[in-house]
Amino acid sequence: MKKVLALILACVMLLSLAACTTGVTPSSNEPAAEAEKEDNAEAQEPAEAEEAEEAEEAGEAEEAGEAEAASELVDGKFAETRHITVEIYDRNNDGGSDPTNNAYTEYIKKGMLEQHNVEVEFVAVPRWTEVDDINTHLAAGTAPDICVTYSYPTIKAYADMDAVIDLRPYLDNYKDELPNLWNWLGETNLYWDSDPNDGTTWAIEAKLANMNRVITFVRKDWLDALGLEEPTTKEEFHDMLVAFKDNAETLLGEDADKLIPYSVSFDVGWRAATLIESFLDPDMSDKEYYVNGFDDRKLTQNGTKEAVRLLNQWYNEGLMWNDFALYGSGDTTEDDMMKAGYVGAFSHNWDYPWRGGDDSIAANLKRLVGEDAKYIAIDPFEDQNGGHNKFLAGPIDRKVFFPITNDEPLASMLYLDFISDPETIQYLQIGEEGVTHNVLEDGAIEIIAATGDSIQNSGMNIDYTITCNGLHLLTDELTSKSLAHTYAGADPEDILRADQIAKTDTRVGINVQTGDIEAEGGVGDTLSSKRDQVYDLSVKAAVEDFDTVWDEGIAEYLSSGGQDIIDERTAAWDAVYSTDNIR
Amino acid sequence: MAKGSKAGSPKKSGGSAYFKRYYQLYLLLLVPLLYLLIFKYIPMWYITIAFKKYSIVSPVIEMKWAKNHGFEYFIKAFKSKDFLVALRNTLSLNLLDLVCGFPVPIAFALILNEIRLKKFKKVVQTITYMPHFLSWVVIYGLALQLFAPSTGYVNMLIQKLGGSPIDFLGTSKNWVKTYIGLGIWQSFGWNSIIYLAAIAGISPELYEAASVDGAGRFQKMWHITLPGIRGTIIVLLIMALGNIIGSGFDRPFALANNLVMDRAEVIATYVYKAGIKGSQFSLTAAVGLFQSVVNVFFLLGANWLSRRFGERGIW
Repeated sequence: MKKVLALILACVMLLSLAACTTGVTPSSNEPAAEAEKEDNAEAQEPAEAEEAEEAEEAGEAEEAGEAEAASELVDGKFAETRHITVEIYDRNNDGGSDPTNNAYTEYIKKGMLEQHNVEVEFVAVPRWTEVDDINTHLAAGTAPDICVTYSYPTIKAYADMDAVIDLRPYLDNYKDELPNLWNWLGETNLYWDSDPNDGTTWAIEAKLANMNRVITFVRKDWLDALGLEEPTTKEEFHDMLVAFKDNAETLLGEDADKLIPYSVSFDVGWRAATLIESFLDPDMSDKEYYVNGFDDRKLTQNGTKEAVRLLNQWYNEGLMWNDFALYGSGDTTEDDMMKAGYVGAFSHNWDYPWRGGDDSIAANLKRLVGEDAKYIAIDPFEDQNGGHNKFLAGPIDRKVFFPITNDEPLASMLYLDFISDPETIQYLQIGEEGVTHNVLEDGAIEIIAATGDSIQNSGMNIDYTITCNGLHLLTDELTSKSLAHTYAGADPEDILRADQIAKTDTRVGINVQTGDIEAEGGVGDTLSSKRDQVYDLSVKAAVEDFDTVWDEGIAEYLSSGGQDIIDERTAAWDAVYSTDNIR
Repeated sequence: MAKGSKAGSPKKSGGSAYFKRYYQLYLLLLVPLLYLLIFKYIPMWYITIAFKKYSIVSPVIEMKWAKNHGFEYFIKAFKSKDFLVALRNTLSLNLLDLVCGFPVPIAFALILNEIRLKKFKKVVQTITYMPHFLSWVVIYGLALQLFAPSTGYVNMLIQKLGGSPIDFLGTSKNWVKTYIGLGIWQSFGWNSIIYLAAIAGISPELYEAASVDGAGRFQKMWHITLPGIRGTIIVLLIMALGNIIGSGFDRPFALANNLVMDRAEVIATYVYKAGIKGSQFSLTAAVGLFQSVVNVFFLLGANWLSRRFGERGIW
């Protein structure tokens, strides 16, 4: 018995060894394509000869990515059931639903099977480490067929290794099969990342239906309690913070020492964006904005230093959260402090206080502090022209791409088409009547807190509508009517106000198509980590050291690759455009 | 290697009879050998990535050689300021760890050995082992609770006693101390086990004889216990030196924050950032290879030194 066992063990080890050596070789696309052919061949056997020929043609054509391949679709349906995997963010919410299996995934699965005969399987990827996780998946060859990320550099890095499928042929050749995708995204978003020379397109850009970005919030009840007006300038904003600090006892009683007048996180560039942007020149040329614009937190733009200097002064006056730099991405400490009512003002995404239904900051404040306790949107940071300059990105959001391991690019394209169908978007965003929404008297949709399987893990299911960010219902009228009611439990007036402020004095980003910037490859994460260091250290520096700390930090950033990018961008701009402004 | 030396032992003439008798043991030995082969030796083939232009879609053997006779990425690494900073930090943190951390478990084992009260000894041991089982992420969470400038308990205590809060985690200088301190706290109990075992192996007769000769506690400690575990100490020291520019990933990664990256970025985290996140696999394979080679030299050097001093070394 022992002998047999030992022998078996040894054999198993040998086998696994063999499996390993073949398994580790990264497979090229060829075997996959061949396997597909084989599949077709097998399926043909029972069928008639004519059909068999057609199928074979289809198989070959698909490999070549030619238009004739559409013939394998009958009324948009595959003859054989296809199977695709789709990335879905896992936000790990308290009491959320399973992101890979809930009422909405069921809807998608059912729809895809009925309309296109495609089986859909969802693969959860943690939201806050999505770039790392997708990287690991890609490197291991286990990435989902449809990947979503906010990081274009990641896609580019893998495209440079021939590990991403060029979407352009599919977009162009199957245009007729993809009406919803074309209608929704159009050339602007589909070709946003196309190479200006050869048209290769590694990713398509989801559309930002609502381009609102960062605005500033303040505790309305604190303003009332201290008899303060809403601040309209930096000066007034500062005075308000001081008033919060000086009246901590009145505002928080026993918890006075926990009061934080103005809170930012380690990601200063994002969380003080409105303040930083108010220091930039609203009329800066497109070229200047582009050349210094690799960092989307505006570290290298002209004017940012003065904004951070102001933050540094506030920090040293004790007006900001002392420990902001110690808590990393995804940590909820700061949110918890807002929920508990310790934070006077902060800047964040325009709808941040109302995100998350029952667990939103607004809902928690009401529960923990009192009915009156709430944040309202304000616009206190004036720019040099007296406006309230806010730089928006382009109408783009997440980037969708297919890794080379995707054997079903056509089926995946059909998925994107399905997910861009206005009806799909509407269903995913507002769910079932009576479960996730009510219809108000004027026909507007009001989102209510759902339970169980119908809980939306992300606001309006943004994680499922991967080609759309922002409310987009069947008619524009319905959308604008409903926008203020899409946050469960929130006062519609507050939402409208925030929306209005977020749309004041905006400057929309434009698509600069200068082709690849070599220097940007592979340095994205190193540079954003450096950027955060510069911001954090500078905010925290002693006032007299500020210049030194900032200048050293910027020098470090530039020497780690930042300068090369600026130089290459300048050259690329000059090579493509003859003027500094192109809008 | 192990196979050869054993098969070459006295039973040479009756080789087949010997094998017939003991083959089961060799089959058993095969399992760990296969483990080494599969998980340690076969992956070594991929070291060649350091000398090649990495591509995710072609097998290693088909990848093109890098420029400069394959040394493109080594040159790039040594030209990169970030790598040099990471190298310096790795060296300095590990040296500090060694200097401050290495003697602690020895001293602890000696002290523990002197405790006569069995129950107390057991309790102390168990408590000191426990941190070893905590992940570094959890430890950072604890550290924040204790040391954060405004909300940490330690700082609240300091303030209550009239002091001003100390930024344990937010300045490079303090962070290094916290890093080393937490490292010692986490591991000294666990690392003392091996010394306690060595101490248990010392013959009680030696102690009795010393007592008869009138030796006190400290004299016995100095003249019997310490020499008794000298071999163990040296072997562990060699191992520690062999890892002087290596380092775990999770400890520096979990404990670091943006304010102290100039000290906290070590090779492991640099490789993670530039390699995994930045997709520069060749560059970081080169860095990893360099790290291993230097470690081997340190290991050999330490071993040679210990043999010079008359100890056995590790082979």
